[in-house]
Amino acid sequence: MKRLAPNALLGGFLIGTLIVVALIGAVWTPYDPLQLSFRAKLAAPSAAHWLGTDEFGRDVGSRLMAGAATSAWISLLTVTLAVVFGTAIGVVSGYVRGWFDRIVMAFNDALLAFPGILLALGLLAVLGANKYGIIAALGIAYTPSVARIVRGAVLSLREREFIAASRVMGNSELFTMARHILPNCIAPLTVLATSMFGYVLLAESALSFLGLGVPPPAPTWGNMLAGSRPYIGQAVWLGIFPGLCISLTLLGINLLGDAVRDRLDPRMRGM
Amino acid sequence: MNRILASAFALALSAGTFQVHAVQAQTLTAVLNADMRSSNPGVNRDDNTDTVVLHIVEGLVGYDEGGSVGPLLAEKVDLSQDGKTYTFTLRKGVKFHNGAELTSADVLWSWTRYMDPKTDWRCLGDLDGRNGLKVVSATAPDANTFVMELNAPNALFLDTLARTDCGGTAIIHKDSVKADGSWDKPIGTGPFKLGEWKRGQSIQLLAYEGYVSPKGATRDGMLGSKRPLVKEARFMVIPDAATVKAGLMAGSLDIASVPEIDAAELKAHPKLNVVTGTNPVRHGMIIQTRDPVLKNVKLRQAIAASIDFPELVANVTNNLGQPNNSPIYMTSKYFGEAEKQGFKYDPALAKKLLQEAGYKGEKITILANKRSTAPSFNTAVIAQQMMQAVGINADIEVLEWATQLDRYNKGNYQMEAFSYSGRFDPALGFEQISGPKDKQPRKVWEDPEALALIDKSMVVADVTERQKIFDDLHKRFIEQVPTIFTHNDVDIVAHSKRVSGVKPWMSKLRLWEVGVAN
Amino acid sequence: MLRFALTRILMALPTLLIVAVSVFVLIRLIPGDPAQLMLGDLADPASLADLRGRLGLDKSLPVQFGIWFGNLLHGDLGQSISSQQAVLPLILQRFWISAQIVLVAVLLAVLVAVPAGVIAAWRQNSSLDLGLVGLATLLLSIPTFWLGLLLLLFFGLKLEWLPVVGYVSISEDATRGILYLVMPIMTLFLHEIGVLLRMARASTLEVLRLDYITHARAKGLSEGAVLWRHAFKNAFGPTWTLIGLVLGNLLGGIAVVETVFTIPGLGRLLVDSIFARDYPVIQGCLLFVAFTYVVVNLVIDLCYPIFDPRVTAQ
Repeated sequence: MKRLAPNALLGGFLIGTLIVVALIGAVWTPYDPLQLSFRAKLAAPSAAHWLGTDEFGRDVGSRLMAGAATSAWISLLTVTLAVVFGTAIGVVSGYVRGWFDRIVMAFNDALLAFPGILLALGLLAVLGANKYGIIAALGIAYTPSVARIVRGAVLSLREREFIAASRVMGNSELFTMARHILPNCIAPLTVLATSMFGYVLLAESALSFLGLGVPPPAPTWGNMLAGSRPYIGQAVWLGIFPGLCISLTLLGINLLGDAVRDRLDPRMRGM
Repeated sequence: MNRILASAFALALSAGTFQVHAVQAQTLTAVLNADMRSSNPGVNRDDNTDTVVLHIVEGLVGYDEGGSVGPLLAEKVDLSQDGKTYTFTLRKGVKFHNGAELTSADVLWSWTRYMDPKTDWRCLGDLDGRNGLKVVSATAPDANTFVMELNAPNALFLDTLARTDCGGTAIIHKDSVKADGSWDKPIGTGPFKLGEWKRGQSIQLLAYEGYVSPKGATRDGMLGSKRPLVKEARFMVIPDAATVKAGLMAGSLDIASVPEIDAAELKAHPKLNVVTGTNPVRHGMIIQTRDPVLKNVKLRQAIAASIDFPELVANVTNNLGQPNNSPIYMTSKYFGEAEKQGFKYDPALAKKLLQEAGYKGEKITILANKRSTAPSFNTAVIAQQMMQAVGINADIEVLEWATQLDRYNKGNYQMEAFSYSGRFDPALGFEQISGPKDKQPRKVWEDPEALALIDKSMVVADVTERQKIFDDLHKRFIEQVPTIFTHNDVDIVAHSKRVSGVKPWMSKLRLWEVGVAN
Repeated sequence: MLRFALTRILMALPTLLIVAVSVFVLIRLIPGDPAQLMLGDLADPASLADLRGRLGLDKSLPVQFGIWFGNLLHGDLGQSISSQQAVLPLILQRFWISAQIVLVAVLLAVLVAVPAGVIAAWRQNSSLDLGLVGLATLLLSIPTFWLGLLLLLFFGLKLEWLPVVGYVSISEDATRGILYLVMPIMTLFLHEIGVLLRMARASTLEVLRLDYITHARAKGLSEGAVLWRHAFKNAFGPTWTLIGLVLGNLLGGIAVVETVFTIPGLGRLLVDSIFARDYPVIQGCLLFVAFTYVVVNLVIDLCYPIFDPRVTAQ
């Protein structure tokens, strides 16, 4: 057992905290995150409201707790969707090459050229403006990027000696893909997936900024951040706290991602 | 090198004029949240287009400060005994921007162009008989007189001509269109000429030295004194309110409409001032009276009784607006004692009404959008909370504006937090929301008796009699709750203290009679 | 090489066709149409039908597509519904504005982020590494609309170094033109640093583990030489692919920055036309973005062998 690096510990701590907060937030919050209180509008952080209140007098801390679960769920599902489909497309396409690759990449590039906002608009109109609509829209929007990155890595990998060796040894193409290509894509994938986790948290907030909200009043970190913008001069805590939550989550995932990659990397195994 | 010489020369020249019109030396910078669609009055337009274009062109008649119609390019308007023939006598000495004198031939030419379906004039349908009113003939008996004859008397004919979305039925010179009849640029009689228009960026207006203002010592809506006091005015296109705020504080912008939440902060700024005014735009929530749940009038009354309007409006407008449940706007001359009687906030009554309505917790979805120009989202959030407090299972769905508008036009909603654009005459304000849903699914109120009353109010010219009709309509409206109006829109205009004479009016920025100090 | 490029361009045609068809269908599936938006709450059915007829929206979808596609083959992208300008010149004019911002920002970000990423990987798990990764993550997690506003308030309002609103093209007035572009470029630059630094670090970590690095070290090469000659050059491959993606995505997604800084670029044009349901402009923009995207990625792939000699361009 390799000693855990301090970075991995920090990452684990941050993500652990997130999970605990999300779990608590799902069942209990200090205040009702949806309860308006006109007398306590835009109150600065105080003993009663540790993280202040928003423009409707709702407790920011409670909203962050409640939003943790929603945000984490949306991001997790979106990233999973994109990574699973993107990797499958990328590995097969990059390994097989030839006409198959070209046709798949034609579709992939077409999808990639679509701005996420138009895709989101279309899918939200069809699926309804709820969190599954957002997950589907963003998932589909991110799949082609994953496919392209993975394909790039595979293109480079398949020229390496050990792949040729596997073929020479008479292993089937499928086996070579699963045993040798796929594990070697883990590194770029973890980086991509962790970046995407952040993108998804933020994509939602960009959609809100441009006038396309995820169904509030249910809080998510993304829509809290977007909604805070007009108050930047009067109530800066409205943006700082959700922003900080997103930052720390990202940092945690990132550090943890590094550790996981070290563990999964075939060359590091048994060391 | 040449350019430097040229600009030095221009500077010397402008220094010369500077001596004469000291007040005219400065440039005024105002803000639009989106570019105008075209410079073609009443054709390819939206609110921003109207705002800009009405600095350049003028019609025979226009609105005054209170929303009544008065002569603009006309000296006077005479109505025949039978109420069907309007005679417009033109003001003398009015010149177009190209120097040509205004005559009735120009009026006739403009009118003929508007009535040609190829022009795509927005208000054609309101004047060619499709919606009842028809202009049967238009003639120019002499250079100074223009005569129009209607199919039947109509109290709203001049209103229609003055409407800002009709481009004020502007009289333009025939060189405004190209030889092939397509639009070129507006050559009007207004206080400003159109300068350089950088699409998506800015619109430059240049003072028209030969401008002849209508009579009046002060500015009065689109009438009264309309002198250009600055040499150059510029509308900058800035979509983001936060950027506008920064621009005002930095001194790069002089005049801009700002959202409620910024009013206090901007007012406290040493270099800025904030002025407000109520306009006829009505905010509220429309209700689908054909919805299986909401068709029950008792349930609709329960919703109205569940809402604490003073609280809601104070929060939505940041304490700048006042509640008004009437379809008639507060500054209208028809807004009287009867119209002040709105919905009453009474949670106990709301609960009782819910019981009587047999409400069993069916979900009621309020559609809302997050456009910065309308309080839709905030209204929905607060109303949802208040409705939930009496036991109504209210939900919110946030849509992009075009999608919400589509649902509105199809009548496909339960409730929508919605805003109706301003109509100066209450009859038009009622007409906007009422009509048979079979023919026009977008209409919210289809009580046949009310519809008959509205039709009557369009023909009757007598003010007292109209007041009675409107009072009656208001009362029925409050009883039947086809829509819950919460308040009228508040124009909030922030301006630099070096600028004088800024006054908000009906959501339109007016740059005439606005001066810049050094 | 030349054959590869030609094939790729031919291959791009189906991509563009797919984009053309799907954009056309998708925007018409979305509720709301330009006629409704032009009439607002005044849309009585007669005038609505009238306007739809004039805009050609009353024809069946295949017929509308046929007309548009026929014109497209003649190089005519049509006319904007809201501003009535011809679409192609409009797009080209807006594109140059966006492109100069994106290119400069990404170039600067690459120059800073890639070396920083290599150094972070080289000193993995040190406090320097943690600091760089932390900074990158922080930059990545500030939305551009927030970052842009902060810059605007600080440099524009507080220090008064840079103009707050407006835009002047560089060809009109070079000095002022550049001043207006500083903050948008800075916003994108800071954001992209976050993305690229992490990618460069990850790729370098990969490479540093390979046998030949150990060999190189064993041969007694200095750390600097190992890093530069072996690690950096090999790690640049995947990062290079990402740069292609970033460029492509930015052209589609620069709308936010352009909105904050009132830059009349392609992104804002696209978003405005989506909200206005200006079909010809949306279709034109997306086709154009797709085309740019194909070209950018072609260039990226053609350059790939330079950084990773094991890949042959086919």
